[in-house]
Amino acid sequence: MALFTRTTKKLILSIDEFFDNIELGILVFREAIKAYLNRDFEAYERHLKKVDTLEGNADKLQRMIESDMITHSILPQHRAEVTTLIDKMDEIIDNIKKSLNEIFTEMPEIPEKLNRDFITLAEESANAAEELIPAARAYFKAPYTVREKLLKVYYFESETDKLSLKTKKRIFQDTPELDLAHKAHLRFIVHHIENISDLAQRAADLLSGMAIKIIM
Amino acid sequence: MIFFFLTSGLFLGWSLGANDASNVFGSAVGSKMISFRKAAIIASIFVILGAVLQGAGAANTLGKLGAVNAIGGSFTLALAAALVIYVMTKFSLPVSTTQAIVGAIIGWNFFTGNATDPGTLSKIVGTWISGPVLGGIFGILLFMLISWIKKISKVHLIKFESYIRTGLIITGAFGAFSLGANNIANVMGVFVPAFNLQPLDLGLFSLSSAQQLFLLGGLAIATGIITYSKKVMETIGSNIVELSSEAAMVVVLAQSLVLFIFSSSALSGFFVRHGLPAIPMVPVSSSQVIVGAVLGIGIYKGIRNINFRLLGQIAAGWIFTPVVSGLIAFLMLFFIKNIFNIDVGHKADISSTGVATQAVLPDAATSELMKLILICIVSAGIMAGAYFLLLERKKRRELKASEEKFWKNMK
Repeated sequence: MALFTRTTKKLILSIDEFFDNIELGILVFREAIKAYLNRDFEAYERHLKKVDTLEGNADKLQRMIESDMITHSILPQHRAEVTTLIDKMDEIIDNIKKSLNEIFTEMPEIPEKLNRDFITLAEESANAAEELIPAARAYFKAPYTVREKLLKVYYFESETDKLSLKTKKRIFQDTPELDLAHKAHLRFIVHHIENISDLAQRAADLLSGMAIKIIM
Repeated sequence: MIFFFLTSGLFLGWSLGANDASNVFGSAVGSKMISFRKAAIIASIFVILGAVLQGAGAANTLGKLGAVNAIGGSFTLALAAALVIYVMTKFSLPVSTTQAIVGAIIGWNFFTGNATDPGTLSKIVGTWISGPVLGGIFGILLFMLISWIKKISKVHLIKFESYIRTGLIITGAFGAFSLGANNIANVMGVFVPAFNLQPLDLGLFSLSSAQQLFLLGGLAIATGIITYSKKVMETIGSNIVELSSEAAMVVVLAQSLVLFIFSSSALSGFFVRHGLPAIPMVPVSSSQVIVGAVLGIGIYKGIRNINFRLLGQIAAGWIFTPVVSGLIAFLMLFFIKNIFNIDVGHKADISSTGVATQAVLPDAATSELMKLILICIVSAGIMAGAYFLLLERKKRRELKASEEKFWKNMK
């Protein structure tokens, strides 16, 4: 019995810590994009290092959670879904790290008149991912509230789609001074930022089904 | 020779352990929440305890239905019931040990010219209906209670699951105790009137003749659990678990409560003391109570596609099983009496208590042999349990070492 309690407590802490890492990663992503657009590369590098550490922690926690759930046969009926959810959420922070690294490597030149568009796009995309965290936490404590929390994820994801389209239009139609290769490069960055909300939506879809299953 | 006659009862006990233990621990093992080894050890211990401590009530009722007064008769009845169960299981027909043995006893009554007490018979048949119905009612009430607790407590899912796991062990142990207490009558009930062993003094306590038989029957059930119930637990258990882990726990608890109610003399006495009618001490089918509890939860959750075919099969089993078992018992008694020339019983000399007089009085040597057998089996069981416990600890140590190694390499 003591083993159950110890393992259970450890696992609950690990899952909470995993969510904390993802949440912090999203916050840092937002700050990193702002720092890049403000040409504060020192801050950007600091944020990148922070994301790198958070992503490493999340990976380690993910493996620990999976290992504990399997070896101690915890949540046998929902284990596969919980581990898939954790994996999908880990993809978000993986994508954040990958995007920030690519921006840092490729150093895209973003015209100042597009700064506002990029900041809003990053904000909305990060919001979608951020709203996923309370919903995922609620799955474990109050599954009845998961679906209402997920509404925000879907809202921010659709807003991100609209903003992404608008930004791409501005890149290709309102910036004749940029050559096509430059425009294509900027579109690539838009895709990277947009992808975070898409990943959040995919995790939300899974979570929504999981919540129904657990309530029934 | 006397011990040879007991083999059919032991076989019946073995098949009961192999099949009905899945009703108790199937959900926990099928969902991998508890290892089979742990479940088998807990179930075996509690089945034996239930049989020895509380098995008398239901066995007395069977004795009133037909006090088999020759050991050859007891052997034949147990064998006939076991055969019916085997054949019906082979053809995937729902079968209850209780109904098979009741049918066989009535067959014996017909064969020997003994009258079947209609009061006792109606009491038994009544519980075949009230058992599943009570199971359903308990299922609904307990499920409502647990769902309400889960909703208001907002306890973490993983913590809740660990409580359910503990609950499954406790309800499983209670279920095994109730199964032993209630169903031992099916296994050894027919032998009780035909046996009269000397009390077995074990220092701290002593076991009466019936309790010695129940201990032997309990050991047979435990053997069935350990040797053959794994597959049944894994298949049947996973079907139950599809409900949800808390529903599975509710089903086991509902079944345990029903079996306990129909085997607890203390509870019945409590009812009588408070001016309520006495609870009949009758062996009930654990599988049918489980079906009742599952249906109850299904109705509560608003599931409309109730399997009426399954219900029909159960209802048909209430008639079909005892009739077939009675016919087979009658035919077997005829052959055993006329071909092997073995005494299978006679018209009873009914005493003032309504129970037939004892026909077989084994000598001191038989009692001594029984004592030796029981002590040997119990000691072997304890040693096997200790060995399994050691294995479990070793496995846990190895797992811990491999995990530590993994994380060390990760660093």
